[in-house]
Amino acid sequence: MKNSMTAQQLVKTFTKNEKKNKKTDINAVDGISLSVTAGEIVGILGANGAGKTTLLRMMSKLMKPTSGTVQIKINDTEITDAIEIKRHIGYLSNNTKLYGRFSTRELLQMLAAVYGMEKSQADRKIASICQILSMEEFIDNRIEKLSTGQTQRASISRCLIHDPQIYIFDEPTLGLDILSSAAIIEFMKKERDAGKIILYSTHYMEEAEFLCDRLVLLNHGKIISEGTPDKLKEETGEKSMRDVFSRLVIREEMANEH
Amino acid sequence: MNTKMIKILMKKELLDVFRDKKTVIMMLVIPVILYPAIFIGALQVSAAISSRMDERTYKIAVCAEDDNALYHRLLLEKSSASPENMTDVSESNVDDETADESYNLEIINAEKITDYAAALENGEIDAYITGAPNDGKMCYDIYYLSSEANSEHAKGIILKIFEEYAKELTKDKLDALGLDAHAILAPVSFEEKDTASSEQSLGSILGAILPFMLVISLLMGTMYPAIDTTAGERERGTLETMLTLPITNRELIVSKFLTVAAIGIISAFMNILSMGGIAFYMYKLVDMQTDVQALDVTKFLPAIFVGILAVLAFSLLISAATMCVTSFAKSYKEANNYITPLMLVVMLTGYIGFIPDVELTPTMAMMLVANICLLIKNMLVFKIDYMTVAIVLLSNIAYAVFAILFLSRIYDSESILFGDAKSGFQLFERRSNLKKGGVPAMSDVWLVIALTIVLVIYAGSMLQLKFGLAGVLGTQLILLSVPLFLVIYTKKDIVQTYGFKKAGASSYIGGLFLAVGMFLLNIVLSSWMVALFPESAANVTDTFSELMDGNFLFVLFVIAAAPAICEEMLFRGLIFHSMKARYRASTAMVCTAVIFGIYHMSLVKLPATSLLGFILCYAVWMTDSIYPAMMMHFINNAFSVILSMYGDKFANTVFYKDELMLSDILLLAGAGLICLSIGSAILTKTRKENALERKRK
Repeated sequence: MKNSMTAQQLVKTFTKNEKKNKKTDINAVDGISLSVTAGEIVGILGANGAGKTTLLRMMSKLMKPTSGTVQIKINDTEITDAIEIKRHIGYLSNNTKLYGRFSTRELLQMLAAVYGMEKSQADRKIASICQILSMEEFIDNRIEKLSTGQTQRASISRCLIHDPQIYIFDEPTLGLDILSSAAIIEFMKKERDAGKIILYSTHYMEEAEFLCDRLVLLNHGKIISEGTPDKLKEETGEKSMRDVFSRLVIREEMANEH
Repeated sequence: MNTKMIKILMKKELLDVFRDKKTVIMMLVIPVILYPAIFIGALQVSAAISSRMDERTYKIAVCAEDDNALYHRLLLEKSSASPENMTDVSESNVDDETADESYNLEIINAEKITDYAAALENGEIDAYITGAPNDGKMCYDIYYLSSEANSEHAKGIILKIFEEYAKELTKDKLDALGLDAHAILAPVSFEEKDTASSEQSLGSILGAILPFMLVISLLMGTMYPAIDTTAGERERGTLETMLTLPITNRELIVSKFLTVAAIGIISAFMNILSMGGIAFYMYKLVDMQTDVQALDVTKFLPAIFVGILAVLAFSLLISAATMCVTSFAKSYKEANNYITPLMLVVMLTGYIGFIPDVELTPTMAMMLVANICLLIKNMLVFKIDYMTVAIVLLSNIAYAVFAILFLSRIYDSESILFGDAKSGFQLFERRSNLKKGGVPAMSDVWLVIALTIVLVIYAGSMLQLKFGLAGVLGTQLILLSVPLFLVIYTKKDIVQTYGFKKAGASSYIGGLFLAVGMFLLNIVLSSWMVALFPESAANVTDTFSELMDGNFLFVLFVIAAAPAICEEMLFRGLIFHSMKARYRASTAMVCTAVIFGIYHMSLVKLPATSLLGFILCYAVWMTDSIYPAMMMHFINNAFSVILSMYGDKFANTVFYKDELMLSDILLLAGAGLICLSIGSAILTKTRKENALERKRK
């Protein structure tokens, strides 16, 4: 059996403060079930506030779901414990900042220790990551002094240190220049081909279309459509992913109104 | 919890904090450079001021109807400032000590000035003297401005001159009568000799400043790392990164706590070394000028050892306290705001250590901050009582552990991180947002317990000292009102929270048996504790019997009725019911009983009060109502009141004996246990019947 990650009926309820001291409960994620298998890139698409980030946070066990479960299967072993699941995940988002007062090398050494790696093993791993992401020139500089692109590469190196089987990236290319995003996309492709599980969210439709094996469209915390890019295009009769997305969202909104 | 993981995380936290310039400055630069600089600077400034004061010429106006006798005397004094005349004066003086001093005075004749007060005000003169004969002797008034340092100094000089002047006059009169002036004016000779060893003197100097400085420096030392590792980490966005790692919440918080405590300890030791250095320097300065015994530093070893333990225990406490405060903050700035009140509280309570005559009693030993100050102060003057040392250290560690457990409970990184953050306390929520009904949440209950106990310790003991019995009533009102405020503010169900439910007659009968049983057992327990700690027990009895002095009905009301209502409502009502809603009934009973025992703040009474608390909880649980427990509490306390007010009538019965015989103990314990079993059996039966009835309905 291939490695896989499965979420069942995930719900996350937030209590929102509205005007006049009234509180309302909002389901940011409202009963999502999702399964990703090894060698597959699954893209989560959705407008702002659709629940992408909350979903990915629950999948990576940063956030406890109000209800529902997440489990992973690695080498035919089922894992449900949050701490154990975290061992197999490399999670990256715009909110996972790095310790500015550390150098990238120090950061990686600390992380390696947390993941229980021996020092010699860690040093070898750091050397190889450094080469893959070509960080030689800045690996010993303090992170607060790095440029945006360099920081992003340092962030990716953080996700690589423990050789995870699962990557969960929340808008990894947001705000990056073409070269930097290309490097990240290249990285994801390579990891997929190496049999990793990749789950990622983005706003960029074209990027999702040519990168993802499967797309999941979210709206108001629910999956409104799911499938390969070709299948979605066929279903809506649109040619570009952008139009597919708009059509599906509008269709959903109309359905809700009736 | 994995210690290896905590070590790794601690290493990371330490590295992170040490690369923060603010912390390093707080920790190193201030103690190592600033303190000595301030100290030596202050020393030089004060030396400069005092030498300027000595060199200054003070202008004094004299207007006295004494044929210029004083005027001439002052002129003589002025001329005595020159070295040649000094010996002359000292010979003519009875007391030759004052002759060492010289004053620069300018005596202004009265005619030159019209308005003395105005001249004094605008600094033309530093003081003026008026004098008129009254009852056959001269009465002088010395006018000066206490708000002006120069005028104050001038007054001091004048007073000294007057003293000498008076002596001279006496001597002259005695000489005129042909008596031996020296024998009459100095019939005995005396000299002061300080028997305090030089270690004791140094200790008392250190004891006056060191404890407070230590407390403040520990607070300052932990403040920045506490903010940096909690609010700072959240503000910089690295907390979410930490959460992607396979570590538990508790590992995270404990590693942060240990880091903060470690930095606090390092900064405290930097402070101690720096202050110790200054003190030693100061001592050496005195040492070189005067001839005192050589210092035996080894005598300070116990003080140093206990001091180090105290710093360790206190740094745990203060780190936990600062982290409790800063963890709620979303940013550095917010955390800074939160920490200011904490700082004030710490400084004010630390100040208690400065009040003379405040002794380190066992109760005081449990008072936060003040106990550490007093302990170090006592150790430095070699008042060493290892029992008290143990209480102080243990209470600090206990409070710290409590704070950390509390913190790791409420520090749910998820809610703190993802903005879902409620404070965790309904007390801090807007009232309109709260839902009606139910019992209070444990976080609120803990906060109220802490607040109430602190209030009772400080305000309650004040009231008790000042108003005696009426003050005890005040304490009870605190116990009643603070929790009641919580219940009302958070819109909880009063009936459910306090257990205000009807109970049948059999519940009261069962309760009666329980009350008698627990009273008998308590006599046995108390006699054991008295045998174990005779001195503390005598202390307790003393304060108790002092209170009992008064009208019987009033005493009964304050000591028996008020606690039966107020203490029951807090402990068996709010605390027990809130705990029962969350934990198993047995856990809730034990916890409530222990808190009830601790609240009485007496080691001697702890077993008895805890047992009392437990049995009262049991009654509430079995009867589903608080009323039987209130009755039981009243009976128990009423017994005590009767025994201590009319003890002589029970003399030599098992109730009122100095020492219990084995047969007495067996009798009391046997009877007590039988009563408890009967009571328990009745309550069990009632409970079953009630349950059946409820089913039928």
